[in-house]
Formats: sequence, C-alpha cells, structure tokens
Amino acid sequence: MTTHGRAAIRAVQLTRTFTLGETEIHALRGIDLQVAVGEFVALVGPSGSGKSTFLNLVGGLDRPTSGELWVDGVELSASKERALTEHRRQRVGFVFQSFNLLPLLTALENVALPLMFVGVSERERLARARSLLEQVGLADRVAHRPTQLSGGEQQRVAIARALVGRPSIILADEPTGNIDTATGSEIMALLRRLNQEQRVTLLVVTHDLEAAGFANRVVRLRDGQIEAGA
Amino acid sequence: MKFRDLVRTAVSNLFRHKARTALTTVGVVVGILTIVTMVSLGIGVQHEMRAAFDTVGLESLRIYPVAEDTSAFDLFGQRQRTKLLTPELAQQLQAREGVLTVVPYLNLPTSMRVILHLDGHETAVTTRSSRPSSPGEPFDVPPRAVAGVEEPPPGGGGIVLSLDLLASLGYAREEVGDLIGREVELVLHAPRGDSQAFDFTIAGIVDQMWGSLTLSVPDRLRLLEWWYNDPDYLARRGYDELFVRTRSLNDATQMLDWLSAEGYEVESLKMMLDLASRGWIIVETMLGSVGGLALLVASIGIANTMIMAVYERTREIGILKAVGAAPGQIRSLFVLEAAFIGLLGGIAGTILGWLLGKGLNWLILEIFRWQEVPMQGTFFVVSWWLVAGALVFAALVGLLAGLYPAARAARLVPLDALRYE
Repeated sequence: MTTHGRAAIRAVQLTRTFTLGETEIHALRGIDLQVAVGEFVALVGPSGSGKSTFLNLVGGLDRPTSGELWVDGVELSASKERALTEHRRQRVGFVFQSFNLLPLLTALENVALPLMFVGVSERERLARARSLLEQVGLADRVAHRPTQLSGGEQQRVAIARALVGRPSIILADEPTGNIDTATGSEIMALLRRLNQEQRVTLLVVTHDLEAAGFANRVVRLRDGQIEAGA
Repeated sequence: MKFRDLVRTAVSNLFRHKARTALTTVGVVVGILTIVTMVSLGIGVQHEMRAAFDTVGLESLRIYPVAEDTSAFDLFGQRQRTKLLTPELAQQLQAREGVLTVVPYLNLPTSMRVILHLDGHETAVTTRSSRPSSPGEPFDVPPRAVAGVEEPPPGGGGIVLSLDLLASLGYAREEVGDLIGREVELVLHAPRGDSQAFDFTIAGIVDQMWGSLTLSVPDRLRLLEWWYNDPDYLARRGYDELFVRTRSLNDATQMLDWLSAEGYEVESLKMMLDLASRGWIIVETMLGSVGGLALLVASIGIANTMIMAVYERTREIGILKAVGAAPGQIRSLFVLEAAFIGLLGGIAGTILGWLLGKGLNWLILEIFRWQEVPMQGTFFVVSWWLVAGALVFAALVGLLAGLYPAARAARLVPLDALRYE
C-alpha cells in the first residue's frame, strides 16, 4: 500500500467491470470523486447505477478493475487480501440494508464481535459495546437477540457495531431499505448526529431521496458514472 | 484473536446443532472404543502374563528330554529318547554356579486308569502335575489348602486331594479336616488285565486344582514302574522335565546356552514371555486396525459435517470477514470445531471402551467360573497413556478431517458470501 493526501476518500478514474459468461458489465466507468474528512455524503441513483459497487470498493470488499482508490490516505487498488482485512478492521465500519447481525448472539455480543478478531480482551470489548449501545439508545436491550428486536433497533445495533472499531469512515448501504419511513428517518438522524459528534466520515448509499436529504452532499450516479454532485 | 475466544466460539458453534454434532461423533466413538478395548486387552494380558511369569521366575528354565523322530517307538509305545534327564544330570545342574533349585517332574499317562478307595467309597480320578516351585501355567490360580498341606511331601507317601473330589464322594467341606492322616488306596488297572493297589496317607486337601489329586515325584515313579512293568523306568526314560531356578536372568541365559549346546531342549520363561508378547502385539495390531478403519470412516463423516456447516454459514462467514475476521482466523475456527468433534468422540469412546473392558472382564471370569477353570486376572487395563493417546488421536483425526472444509471457508469471497441466500 502507498499513502497520499488528507481526503477521506479519493477515487481517480475508478472502474469496475464484471464478467458474466460472455457478457461484460461495466458497473463503474471512470469515477472521479473526493470525500472530505468528516463529510456526510449520500450516493443516490437508480438500480444498477454503481453506487453499491463503489461502496464495496471503498470498504475493501471488492477490488477495482482499474483506476486509483485512496481511502484515509491508503491506496487500495493493488492491495492483497491481508491488507484489505486490516483496512476493514481499522478504517471502515459497515452498515448493511439487511442488518447482517448474527442471530445467535445478543445485541451486546454482536457489537463486540469485531473487537474479538483484533485481540481485544472480553472485558474491554463488552464495555465498549455497552457504551456504544447506550449512545444509540439501546442501553436496555443489550441482552436481546436480533429476533427480539425491531428493524430499527437491529439497525441501531448494526450502527453501533460499525463504530466499535473506531473507524474513520462509516459505509452504509441502503440503511433504511428494510425499515419503515418513520424509523428510517430516525436512523438517518442518528447517523447525522454521530457524524457531527464524532467527526466520522459517512458515505451512505440510498435510493431514498428523503434519506439522502440528511447528508451534506448528494452525489448522483447513473450507469456507472457521476451525473451530479462530484 | 485470543485462543480462549477461538475455543469458546468453536464450542458454541458445535452446540448450535447438538443432534448433528452427536451423530457425527458416533463414528469416532466406535473407532476409539474399539482401539481402547483392544489395546487395553493387550496391556492387561501382557501385564498378567508378566506377573504370572514373574511369580514362576523369569530366571527359570524348563529342560525337556530329546526324542528321536516320530517313527521310533519302544515296546511301550513311547517315543525313544536320545537325551535323557537323569538324576545324575539333575545333581550336576544343582552343583552349577548360579543354580538355586532343580526340580524333576514326571508325567502320568492319560491312559492310566486309577481308582481311589476311601472309607468304602471309590471313584475314578485324574492326577494333577506337581511342580512344587511353580504355580503351573500363567493365569493359573495356585491351589489353597483347606486342610493339611498344598503339595504332597517330596519324599513320597502323601497325597493331596481336591475338595471337589471329596464332595463327589459325599464329604461336606466341614468334614474334610478330619481326613488328614487317613489312609487312602489308589488302584491302578492296567490294560494287560492286572491291577495294583498303592497306599497313601492324605496329607492335604485343596480348594481347586487341575485334576482330582496330586502325587509326589517318587510316588509317580512307583506308579510308572508298575504300569510299564519296568523297575528301571527312570534309568530308561529319565524325567519328563527338569525345572531349574537360577539366581538371575544372566545365570538363566548362560545355563540356557550351555544346555542348548549339550543338545537338550530348553525353554526359558523369558523367551516364552517375549514370544507370547510378540504374538499379542500382532493380534492387538490387527484388532486395533478394525478401530482404525472405523476412525477413517468417521473422519469422512466429520469432513462432510463441516462442509455442510460451511455451506450453511456462508453468509455468516461473509459477515465475519466484513467486520474484520482474517481468512486464517476463519480457517482456525473451523479446524478447531472439527478437532472438538473428534475430541468429544474420543472422550465418549474412551469411557465406553473402559466400561466395555470391565464388562468383558467380568464375563470372562464368569465363564471361567462356570467352566470350573481355576484362572483369575484383570485382562483389560486402561492406562493413563492409553487415555491420553486415544484423546489426542481422536482430536487429530477430527483436525485433519476439518482441514479441507476450513480451507474452503477461508477462501470465500466476502461479497459473494454476503449475498448468499
């Protein structure tokens, strides 16, 4: 990996092409985008516009086909698996549309889970998890399993889990996609509050314009290219 | 990731599907149970053999006369002997450095028909060998005196009877003490038509023995001289065996070399023990292989269970990778789960193997008792190293079976795994 500048996210002519049989799908076609440290950016666009693909590249879940991608000063495009694992541990936290909590763990254990993989002691990781659950308003639900929580509560647990590793960037892929409108607004308000209080950079992918309205800046994608807001 | 967290996570994952985990361990249980039972049998039997031989004395030798080839028989239908065990040889051996005792032994032919007469009762009897310095064969239970002595006086004239024989004549156990010193008559009936009575005094009564009564070597000689109508029986045939006890194993080895060089047939108890042990190891290995085969099949079962687990937990693996789990940590988790399946099976198999050994031991002794075989012993011994070895081996089988599924889990692409339904 190599280091460059102070932008939280910097994409230079970023492309991602998928091959399905004999067909090539150009999910991203030369994206140029910068996201400043502490900025709250919403990526909007129709299905297939490439917004989730961009998020996955920033999160180290995928590798670009070409171009440069700098996240928190580290270039990811040529990184090996070990480096991407470190990237996911240290720099980014994920919030998924379907929450992706482990059903057999309690809320507290779900939030503490990422810290187990970096060797944090059980006592410390549970203490940090408990503190974060308090911040997201779930202090009285720590011992509940995901099946015992509402959609909004599960997403709050997921947000707490994303924050537990103290990442510099939070990546949220359709965080309001599986919950009702009112709850969705609460979630977006929570994300904005955390962005403002903790100065964590926030990149949210959404097709919901009302949710996008919580962001500082809205970037519109279409057919793998930026239409507006770059 | 701390090892404690790894272990706890692996154990908790196993207990998610208790029934499946239990069924998967069955193969390991069967394999370890078989191995533990077979190896414990080997340990027990070898331990008993060594103890029995130790009682006799590993520094002992058995010397036999050398007979010509099977076609040469004498007037009495016996094989000609070219090397005799004479009283002079016995004295010569006794005088040698390192020799403690030399005890002769004479067989009575199985065709010899002997009738015992006591207080107006009579019955056919069989005679037991008399080896004053030896309890007899390994696993044999030495006779215990109920009254009088256990072995007839070496000078002759005394006879030792079994309790069973007296019970068949109608004597109760409480009455037999009064028989010591009583006169008894043994009448031999030869095929040639005549018979001869020999008088003895009852010197002892024992609780159990092979055969009904025991005679000293001089008395056996008297019977043989009459039976074969040969007053020079000993000079012509010599003894049937000389049992030599030496001071040490070294002395026994030297004696063995000398006697073999002189052309005698010699058995060293150490040789017998080594031979028997080697034989047992072969048998043990063959039987243990059955358990090994079961474990091989069990390992396939474990691998199958773990592959299924990887499929079922694909999405979960994706989540773990997304929140920071390294491929190596995923691999370790699955390998450890497989090793634990093996270990659980090993624990259960070892316990069941121990119990089975206990049960079989009891059954064997019951059969001995029912068949009136005077043998005792613990034939199944589970040692601590057998337990440790079984558990380690079982865990290793599980671990090896889990390597491939664990590698598959580690190689999963996070994005694809997260999308898996």
